[in-house]
Amino acid sequence: MQTSEKESIGRLLKEAEIYRSHGLLSNSRAKYLEILSMSRKSSAISKNQKFIDGIKSKIRAVEKSLDELRKRPDKPQLNQDMQALIKKLFSFSKTEAAAAIEGAVALAKFGQYEKALYEFHLLLSQGILPLVMAKNIIRCHVALKKPDAAAEEFSKWLSRDLFSFDELAQLRSFTAAAFEKEGIHTPLPELFTRPRKTFSVNKEEETFLEISAISIHLQNGPFQSENLDFEVHFQSANTVTVHLPSTRKEIAEFFVPGTRLDNIECYSPITVFRSSGTVAGKATIKHGPKRGDYTLDISIDAD
Amino acid sequence: MAIFNAKDRIIECKLVFYGPGRGGKTTNLEYIFKAFNKNTSSEMISINTMGDRTLFFDFLPLGLGKIRGCEVKIQLYTVPGQARYRSTRKLVLKGVDGVVFVADSLEVRRKANLLSLRDLADNLKSEGKNIFRIPLVMQYNKRDLEGHEVPLLPLETLDMDLNSKLKAPHFAASALKGEGVGATLKHALLLTLRRLQTDLKWTR
Ligand SMILES: Nc1nc2c(ncn2[C@@H]2O[C@H](COP(=O)(O)OP(=O)(O)OP(=O)(O)O)[C@@H](O)[C@H]2O)c(=O)[nH]1
Ligand SMILES: [Mg+2]
Repeated sequence: MQTSEKESIGRLLKEAEIYRSHGLLSNSRAKYLEILSMSRKSSAISKNQKFIDGIKSKIRAVEKSLDELRKRPDKPQLNQDMQALIKKLFSFSKTEAAAAIEGAVALAKFGQYEKALYEFHLLLSQGILPLVMAKNIIRCHVALKKPDAAAEEFSKWLSRDLFSFDELAQLRSFTAAAFEKEGIHTPLPELFTRPRKTFSVNKEEETFLEISAISIHLQNGPFQSENLDFEVHFQSANTVTVHLPSTRKEIAEFFVPGTRLDNIECYSPITVFRSSGTVAGKATIKHGPKRGDYTLDISIDAD
Repeated sequence: MAIFNAKDRIIECKLVFYGPGRGGKTTNLEYIFKAFNKNTSSEMISINTMGDRTLFFDFLPLGLGKIRGCEVKIQLYTVPGQARYRSTRKLVLKGVDGVVFVADSLEVRRKANLLSLRDLADNLKSEGKNIFRIPLVMQYNKRDLEGHEVPLLPLETLDMDLNSKLKAPHFAASALKGEGVGATLKHALLLTLRRLQTDLKWTR
């Protein structure tokens, strides 16, 4: 072996070792392959079978590590303490419900689906943004590759008064789309008519006063000195829907779902009462003369 | 998105170590943890399992004591640098107040540095933040390998590649030996706190 050849191979070997020790396995493998091809071309080294075998076995070892890395789960299950920490560190909102939702969503995004499921069920049972929670529950089941559990969950929702017919229809198509994306063929129960709602009237709907307008007073934030007055366009039980023109985008942006509203004046044809509530939903109108305007769903606390 | 508790005068802010996989982010935090041990109320937490690649993030809370009448707490995070963990990086970047970009001086990582910086810019953007505006410090890491048998990018090249437009303060470092780590952190804290003072109108 010539000295210069020996030296340069020695340098390359050290380089390959450094990459390997830094976990730069592809770079390390490439370097070893370079050494191997150089050695095979060199009349002196190509005869040194022991050396060549040594390089080959290094390549195999690096490839084995690469393979192990590829097979490793991206998001392994964490212990309870770590999950609790994630929940704590990744909930930023000041309102309790919004923070709880953020924490649960973070758990799901970090692949802690079982724990996220537990949290979403808890929020659902507390009546917090039921439709959003239900979709997240479906997402988790699908991510866990448990379509049967998702279908079962949907059947359960069908047999309860938790969701309106339209919401159930939305949930069904959401679940079907999630299944399709994953190539899952598990059947989902059909939605037939719109019956239940008509004969099993929601108790709240019966007793909740008709509200024709609301006036929101914010205690803090950019609109605290304003009275935000809205006419109610639609009411279902204790949730009212109001319109917001596209020119008041700042307000629309401020009212994220989950925002607590501590001071709402509700005007009904027979009385005015003070209450509180939560922003339950927000949407942009896509068609018609009001296109671009916003609709806000506000659920008024029912006490 | 620092948290300012006006009543108790506590400020909590978030500094994220960003950069390509295997560039030395976790090593930076490990060194800081060792060096600042007396200021930490809790442990450094590395949320990962096997091996030394970060899968989720590392987390190190530091108490900086009183500054201008406020108790200042800082949370240091690292992101997982490997390309495939983009969604996790996005999540860890939520509410970030300042960034340390740890670039790898190894020549073979030149492209990875650039991709990671672009990924940072994109992810900041989807957070409603701008890489040109956020408090940002560049660290050119692994300088201890100078003179070893491995091609390193000269500091000028790193600066030209990554910092010619950003013009962020930059530091040569060896996270492994702890060289330049303190200077990087100090400067990042300085920029971040200065910005918070303006944003939060934080005066005595
Ligand atoms: N020589 C040298 N090695 C370093 C230095 N910093 C980090 N390393 C090594 O580089 C490898 C990767 O370091 P980490 O700190 O785990 O890198 P990381 O940026 O956290 O990587 P990811 O978690 O995959 O994003 C380890 O083997 C470290 O020992 C340094 O300054 N000099
Ligand atoms: Mg790491």
